[in-house]
Amino acid sequence: ANTLRLYLTCIRNTLEAAMCLQNFPCQEVERHNKPEVELKTSSELLLNPVLICRNEAEKCLVETSINSIRISLKVKQADELENILAKKFLRFLSMRAEAFQVLRRKPVQGYDISFLITNYHCEDMHKHKLIDFIVQFMEDIDKEISELKLSVNTRGRLVATEFLKQFI
Amino acid sequence: MCGTGRSKPVEALKTALEGSPLKTRDERCKSANWIVVHRAMMAIRDIDGMFNSLDTEYYDILMKYLYRGLSTGDRPTCDQCLKIHEKLTERAGLGCILRSLADTVNTV
Repeated sequence: ANTLRLYLTCIRNTLEAAMCLQNFPCQEVERHNKPEVELKTSSELLLNPVLICRNEAEKCLVETSINSIRISLKVKQADELENILAKKFLRFLSMRAEAFQVLRRKPVQGYDISFLITNYHCEDMHKHKLIDFIVQFMEDIDKEISELKLSVNTRGRLVATEFLKQFI
Repeated sequence: MCGTGRSKPVEALKTALEGSPLKTRDERCKSANWIVVHRAMMAIRDIDGMFNSLDTEYYDILMKYLYRGLSTGDRPTCDQCLKIHEKLTERAGLGCILRSLADTVNTV
């Protein structure tokens, strides 16, 4: 539990420092405005990507650029069941990315879920609230998946008990 | 570098940080220095004491090494790096983190 607190504090501090975004129109094409972290065309617009690992299973990749920041998470998946639950749950969220605004429709290769925050989001919403949202999301994901796993096991046990009663 | 980890881990860390190859692009050089810094960091038990004797000019370099340690994914390394990261951010502030992110020229 202590490492979780340290891990989240580290991510929060890194995001607070990295979320310094400003509007930057595309340099190659006129009248276009693209999130530079997604395209990675000009190296002078990108900062060093930072990988924060809690252990072998959980990590968080923070890539920043001048007008956008991409945060990719890999959540803890202890066994096969948690693997499937996490995949289904996070796919459910990613498909509804429009509602979340800062969520990315597809996670970055090697991760479970990704956020893309642009300068427009920072202009519309408070920066500290965005960071609170991401950190809270990380805490809640673990709880949600544990709850889902518990309910799946309980249902499985009930179903099996009912089914096998006919053989007693 | 004999006697690096045994008697004075803080002194060892200072020496390792001083010798960090920021200007080169040679990966082997950087990896070699990283191994030494890693050993010194893992030997430190008293983090507050370490900061009391470490000069502020080393904070930026230490932050860069902390992020390198956090990217390894090895559990004891990450535990130690997370502990030091929290204390270092309290002392050095967010500017230290931003400098380690923004500095694409001098990397560790």
